Amino acid sequence: MSALAAVTSKKKAARFVGYAFVLPAVLFTAIFDYFPMLDGIWHSFYRWNGNNIEIFVGLGNFKEILSDSVFWTSVRNMLFFLVCNIVLMLPTLVASIVLFRIKHSRWQYAYRVLMCIPMFIPGIVIMLLWQFLYNPQYGFLNQLLASWGLENLQQLWLGDPAMVKWCLVFIGFPWIGSIALLIYLAGLQNLDSSIWDAAAIDGASPLQRALSIEIPLLKGQFKLNLISVLAGAVTGYNLQLVVTNGGPGFSTTVPGLYMYQHAFGSVNADYGYASAVGLLLFLIALLISLLSMKFIRSEE
Amino acid sequence: MMKNTAEFGKHLFLIVLGLLLLYPLILMLQMSVKNTEQIVYDFFGLSGPFHLENYARAWEEVSPMIWNSVVMAGGSAMISVFVSGLAGYGFGKLKFVGKEPLYWLIFAKMMLPGVLNLIPSFVLAWKLNLLNSYFAVILFAVGGAQPFWVFVMRTFVQGQPKELFESAKVDGAGEFRTFLFLAVPLLRPVLTLSALNVFINVWNDYIWPLVTIQSFDKRPITTGLAYLATTHVGEYGPLMAGYVIASVPLVILFSLGMRQFVQGLTGGAVKL
Repeated sequence: MSALAAVTSKKKAARFVGYAFVLPAVLFTAIFDYFPMLDGIWHSFYRWNGNNIEIFVGLGNFKEILSDSVFWTSVRNMLFFLVCNIVLMLPTLVASIVLFRIKHSRWQYAYRVLMCIPMFIPGIVIMLLWQFLYNPQYGFLNQLLASWGLENLQQLWLGDPAMVKWCLVFIGFPWIGSIALLIYLAGLQNLDSSIWDAAAIDGASPLQRALSIEIPLLKGQFKLNLISVLAGAVTGYNLQLVVTNGGPGFSTTVPGLYMYQHAFGSVNADYGYASAVGLLLFLIALLISLLSMKFIRSEE
Repeated sequence: MMKNTAEFGKHLFLIVLGLLLLYPLILMLQMSVKNTEQIVYDFFGLSGPFHLENYARAWEEVSPMIWNSVVMAGGSAMISVFVSGLAGYGFGKLKFVGKEPLYWLIFAKMMLPGVLNLIPSFVLAWKLNLLNSYFAVILFAVGGAQPFWVFVMRTFVQGQPKELFESAKVDGAGEFRTFLFLAVPLLRPVLTLSALNVFINVWNDYIWPLVTIQSFDKRPITTGLAYLATTHVGEYGPLMAGYVIASVPLVILFSLGMRQFVQGLTGGAVKL
């Protein structure tokens, strides 16, 4: 009996070993990802301060949000940044194609490292640096205009509601996304080299070649980058929070920042209301991520 | 001849682009060795004397923040790699009841956006008494990293030849020993990539420490630098020196792990 019992008990033990391996990850995901998510959905139907106020209001928060003109301003601002960010995917695409066409492999490597340098610099440093470059008194732009004798063109930049959105968009200049660039390059490297020889024999111009070969073949990579741009523009608000805090007025407030400010930006914080904004953003981002899944599937 | 001009054009394009990309950083470097007067009256010039004391002044303020960031980012990276590595091995190789549902629970979170989590996570950290502690950042960073990295680790473990693990079993090695001495060395590239990625995410995170770490002596560089920028208006030289100092650790980290980072990234993207 003993040998058989030993084997079965060992097998039993082995069955539990599996749980020991996966339990930490399951617990971390359950406690620090799922619990807050469900808690947020739940409390978006409440007035809530995280402590002693917890009053069920049904759809009240959502009604209030949808009738708040500031919210709609933030949505319009978000759409502005969204469109800009999509258009500004182009420089990275062009740069990756040009970079790929450099024949000399050592030069190609050198340029690739050069384009990746901004990745080393913490985002906050770039934002704070630009905040200073826009400084109306001492900053780069007005100094530059002064040095060209164009004082009359000097601006308040971040202080000017008509200009501030463009200033935020310009912070990315020249809009090379290091990670997107690497993704495009990986895609180009995958292509069959015979395509290039055929095109060279055809005598197609560089632009024709880009339009007929490279760009169609990068469709998958483009979609991948597009999804991250979409998700970033819909839910992100780091830049606005750091550089302008949504101002002046509400001219750079985006929905994510609107959510943040309703929770942490004022004395009468309402976590329930903010969670309801979060839930709306969550649903839009979820829709994007589901659509993207479908896109990627169809690509395969 | 025609060919040479075309080649030259490409190089010119990329060099100009690179200069534009680096120009703000060059401005940052040159301002970091000037005093306020030199910055205001000679913005573009760089004529001495150089004020290297800006760096000493910045170091005083920035070094504790760097330490905080290193502890939080390093702690998150180490714990996360360990937890996701274990789970990847468990889901990829071991057999137990309920394996698939548990895996799907973690995997599904990858599709669910995190934007809603900020406020309830803050309340949770508050209720767990984690506010103003490194653990507020570390625990939530590890949690957030799990879905993606468990998925990646599982894929890698499944990709290893089965016989390899079987032979260890014949030797009588327990599962944990097999994991530690066989799986970990095999998974080293992807473990490194995962550690780098978690480290960088925590290092760059601004919003979460902004709401959870209020006490100044625990602040990481992100919220710390933003705070210094609002409290030291006018001291542009030392501020710029502080920005430079805060960028150095990532440069070091990247130069150590750049190859793995780029390869892992492109390798993942190729599969799409």
